[in-house]
Amino acid sequence: MALTLTCPVCGKRNGYEFRYGGEDKGPKPDDFGSSPETWCDYVHMNRCVAGIQKEWWCHRDGCGVWFTTHRDTLKNLEME
Amino acid sequence: MFDRHKPLWGKPPALKQSYDAVIIGGGLHGLATAYFLARHQGMQNIAVIEKKYIGFGGAGRNTAIVRANQRTQQNVPLYKEALDLWPVLTKELDYNLMFFNCGNLNLLHSEAAMSAARMNIASAQFQGVESHLIDAKTCKEMMPALNIAEDITYPIFGAMFHPPGGIVRHDAVVWGLAKGAAKYGCHIHQHTEVTGINVENGKIVSVDTDQGKINTPRVLLTAGGYSAALSYHMLGIKLPISVLNIQAMVTQPLKPLLNHVISSGAYHAYANQTLKGEIATGAHMDAWPNYTTQTTAYYIRHQAQAITEMLPCLKGVKFMRHWSGLADMTPDMAPIMDGNHPIEGYYMNCGWGYFGFKSCTATGKYMAQFMATDECPEILKPFHLGRYAEHRLMGETAALVTYSPDN
Ligand SMILES: Cc1cc2nc3c(=O)[nH]c(=O)nc-3n(C[C@H](O)[C@H](O)[C@H](O)COP(=O)(O)OP(=O)(O)OC[C@H]3O[C@@H](n4cnc5c(N)ncnc54)[C@H](O)[C@@H]3O)c2cc1C
Ligand SMILES: [Zn+2]
Repeated sequence: MALTLTCPVCGKRNGYEFRYGGEDKGPKPDDFGSSPETWCDYVHMNRCVAGIQKEWWCHRDGCGVWFTTHRDTLKNLEME
Repeated sequence: MFDRHKPLWGKPPALKQSYDAVIIGGGLHGLATAYFLARHQGMQNIAVIEKKYIGFGGAGRNTAIVRANQRTQQNVPLYKEALDLWPVLTKELDYNLMFFNCGNLNLLHSEAAMSAARMNIASAQFQGVESHLIDAKTCKEMMPALNIAEDITYPIFGAMFHPPGGIVRHDAVVWGLAKGAAKYGCHIHQHTEVTGINVENGKIVSVDTDQGKINTPRVLLTAGGYSAALSYHMLGIKLPISVLNIQAMVTQPLKPLLNHVISSGAYHAYANQTLKGEIATGAHMDAWPNYTTQTTAYYIRHQAQAITEMLPCLKGVKFMRHWSGLADMTPDMAPIMDGNHPIEGYYMNCGWGYFGFKSCTATGKYMAQFMATDECPEILKPFHLGRYAEHRLMGETAALVTYSPDN
């Protein structure tokens, strides 16, 4: 099943126009003083939720904007 | 007729209240570890818990390609041993795993790829793995069906030829290992789902399943694509994994024409001819996580275009079946194997991406040794989870055949 995503600028578009940018992990850790574990958690670690997750996308082959959205990983469908 | 027959590996045993070890997932790594524990480590009071049926995961969906030409000095020896074990296990299990060592041709489409291959080949040879660089003309001599014309999208400059690799019948591996493990006392519980892992004072004490609780001091998580979600959900341990869907398809059966496994990073495609004559091909995956195992028409077209450019004689041949499975991808394209950390008695073996078939024999052997002795074997040490926090990622992404979410 193909994925459709809603770009905040261009509206609903074919999922293959977008680049997945990872799970939403909240704000970036402090540039100074954050431990290797904190960085590792932010950069590499995932929750791999089987269900609805908030995630980043970039409209790579379109307007280039980055945005977050919610998607159900069990159905591969964006939440309305 | 199917449900009336008793499985090849014996009558389903009753679930006991306690085992010396519980293995979550009846896939390749779970069954291989169970086999080596029961047969070679003398730990026979063990259970494999499988939520559907054994082979339901990647074990029954992979394209059965085996090879040992990985990129780094930590990975090559493991894959080499895994490759060497196929004939040994065929004998030991008294079960024909149908190892066909037809060799792998990794096609190279630029001068840059040729130089990268020289590095890869030198590493392989240094580790005792046979690998050669060959030019396009030799490729054509070895495989007459190959198109070495210069006017295709990615003309072929040469190939990395790895003679000892090939294909192994994946279902036979699942059944053979299950039969072997059960013969030495291992219980295989299908249609049983692990729903929780219980820890007391930093030690594993039991697992919960939908068929009841099982007391055990040791748990191995080998749930393939489901491992990361289970790890976070049951223990709060996050893993550096992205679960992508990898798709594969087979054509109608043909007379023998593909006498080697071929793969191409540029075309994002690999293909081999099964012993039934079908051309099995795959590689691509949707570059975003999902658990659907759904297939997309997008890749039927992609695969058809790529394969018919490389092998024009396949034009007009029909695809018969198309499927998808989960690939648990890590950022360094190398697996995570760890134990007793941060929980005593808790072992994990996951993050295999699309390399988990060719490796399962050796990891089964060493994970069993790890679990039976509580000592991590040297060969597994580099694969510990802590490497990500230490920023010591492995260089496997530099291998020639990577189809990562980013390319
Ligand atoms: C299309 C495709 C092609 C591939 N091609 C190749 C190839 O050519 N060569 C290669 O080396 N590798 C290949 N792979 C990768 C390989 O198949 C996997 O890496 C391998 O199967 C991983 O083995 P595993 O034992 O970790 O997991 P799996 O074989 O996936 O087994 C995991 C098992 O855990 C079970 N499970 C999950 N959750 C629970 C639970 N809560 N309780 C109990 N059981 C549970 C699942 O039902 C499943 O049976 C391919 C994969 C795919 C999908
Ligand atoms: Zn846009």
